[in-house]
Amino acid sequence: MFKKYKVTVNGQSYDVGVEDVGSAVGPAAAPVAQASASAPVAPAAAAPAASGGAVTIKAPMPGTVLSLKVATGNPVKRGDVLMILEAMKMENEISAPSDGVVAAIRVQAGSTVNTGDPMIDLA
Amino acid sequence: MESKLKDLAVRRGRITAGGGPKRVAAQHDKGKMTARERIESFLDAGSFVEVDAFVEHRATDLGMGDIEAPGEGVVIGYGTVAGRLVYLFAQDFTVIGGSLGEMHAAKICKAMDMAMKVGCPCIGINDSGGARIQEGVDALFGYGNIFYRNTLASGVIPQISVIMGPCAGGAVYSPALTDFTVMVEKTSNMFITGPQVIKAVTGEDVTAEALGGAQVHNEISGCASLMFADELATIEGVKKLLSYLPSNNIEDAPLMPTNDPVTRSCPDLAGIIPDSPNKPYDIRDVIGKVFDDGDYFEIQSLYAMNIVTCFARLGGRSVGVIANQPKQLAGVLDINASDKASRFIRICDSFNIPLVTLTDTAGYLPGVGQEHGGVIRHGAKLLYAYSEATVPKLTIIIRKAYGGAYIAMCSRHLGADQVLAWPSAEIAVMGPDGAANIIFKKEIEEAEDPVAMRKDKIDEYKRNFANPYKAAARGYVDDVIDPSETRARLASTLAMLLGKRETRPAKKHGNTPV
Repeated sequence: MFKKYKVTVNGQSYDVGVEDVGSAVGPAAAPVAQASASAPVAPAAAAPAASGGAVTIKAPMPGTVLSLKVATGNPVKRGDVLMILEAMKMENEISAPSDGVVAAIRVQAGSTVNTGDPMIDLA
Repeated sequence: MESKLKDLAVRRGRITAGGGPKRVAAQHDKGKMTARERIESFLDAGSFVEVDAFVEHRATDLGMGDIEAPGEGVVIGYGTVAGRLVYLFAQDFTVIGGSLGEMHAAKICKAMDMAMKVGCPCIGINDSGGARIQEGVDALFGYGNIFYRNTLASGVIPQISVIMGPCAGGAVYSPALTDFTVMVEKTSNMFITGPQVIKAVTGEDVTAEALGGAQVHNEISGCASLMFADELATIEGVKKLLSYLPSNNIEDAPLMPTNDPVTRSCPDLAGIIPDSPNKPYDIRDVIGKVFDDGDYFEIQSLYAMNIVTCFARLGGRSVGVIANQPKQLAGVLDINASDKASRFIRICDSFNIPLVTLTDTAGYLPGVGQEHGGVIRHGAKLLYAYSEATVPKLTIIIRKAYGGAYIAMCSRHLGADQVLAWPSAEIAVMGPDGAANIIFKKEIEEAEDPVAMRKDKIDEYKRNFANPYKAAARGYVDDVIDPSETRARLASTLAMLLGKRETRPAKKHGNTPV
């Protein structure tokens, strides 16, 4: 069975053909997609795999967000400073617990947070 | 005689082969060494003397009568590390999964008893599938005997548990009863109930690594003291740890000669502390400048990072350093930090290792979670451990020391022998903002410009009270020193205190808050 799909990646659409050759055959595991532009499809497929390590950074102490050091979409490395949280009269650096990309920022400079409040999502 | 010697060689050969080439290869494939290889790389070359190699199990139930277990699945004996005697036992996973039965446990107990008798550290290398189920209650009897001995040996000889494979069920209580638990990344786990049991009871899916791997116990649970990337690094780490410890509770830790003069000035120290008291810095930069050769050895470095606990040396003498870490959570004291520091203090006091405390903390962490989690009793552990300790206690107040946290961080009032303060120290009952609001409440309210008045009063309080001189005026602080003199003054104080004798009222034992 041969089926045709239209796949949109980053706003660009591709025509993709998929053929079902049965599950018993070994080579069936190999992708049979015949993308008209196969190269751009590959990175798009890899993206969901990288988001396996999604993590939400929560406020470790009650305090006030003093400044944000990153913006949505920025890639960050483990240990990078994401924001400054003023708490216990100290300008605390809140750093990334793991490598990732800033998926969402749920606070802004001046926001008051309590212990455990979600502040930044990393994907 | 010749034939008897031949017989001995054959018998010994069978035992040293462990579980045989196939199982040894499987062990190596997992990135693990065998029990004997671990012992060889841990001890000084040629120093190992094996004991109880010929011990056999006597179980007959459930087919055990036909099962041979060379060495009973555990290798015990003594040898030297850097020339110093240690006893050790290493479970052999290649022999019925290193499972623990009556005689396996009896061998471990013998190693512990001998270590106690001669006063040397006891190192246990754990790599076992757990209780040998075929031996039933005899296996439980074995575990119980080990736990009992761990407890009696506690505070008499250093006990170090090295986890180099699975350590599950009741078996994990032995490491928990010892002074240090050292884990290998990726190949070691500890848990009371394993993934299968958890799946059956609560339905949660979890891998052994995510449940009780090295990272989990070093970062989250606090059940481990140290972790290393592989077995050889772990063994080197344990050797380094031993170098800071005496062989038993009536000796002092070995002196390590150094070329780093104790009178060395530390001109960079003052520059580490930011001018604003609201700015964090890394306390490890201070530690690295003060102690011998800039060297220190952190314990639980990934757990409760708002307090740093490490061994270091001053003029060649081992000291235990407890320091608030302003870089993490403003250096607050919380449940986990109190737990970590008090345990470390008690280890040091048990083994005659003087304490050096570096104070810079924003105070106890406020919050419902902390209060409901029992920060009162956990925080009390810190007070108890410091007050109970009779080793020389030296305190340097670097910056913030307010209220209860000032008292808790080895103040004069908990028996510190010498308290020094940097000129940046702020020692007061509470921070300037809070204090001004309470003391000058009326003035501020009645002022024409309350905001300006409030700022004036805060500044006034800061000027008059946020400094070390009020405490020094009472003698709570012995001296206010230039930070550059820190090393020299600490070394001189430590030398002065070497003859310190302090006794406590006779009692069975104190009732430490837990």
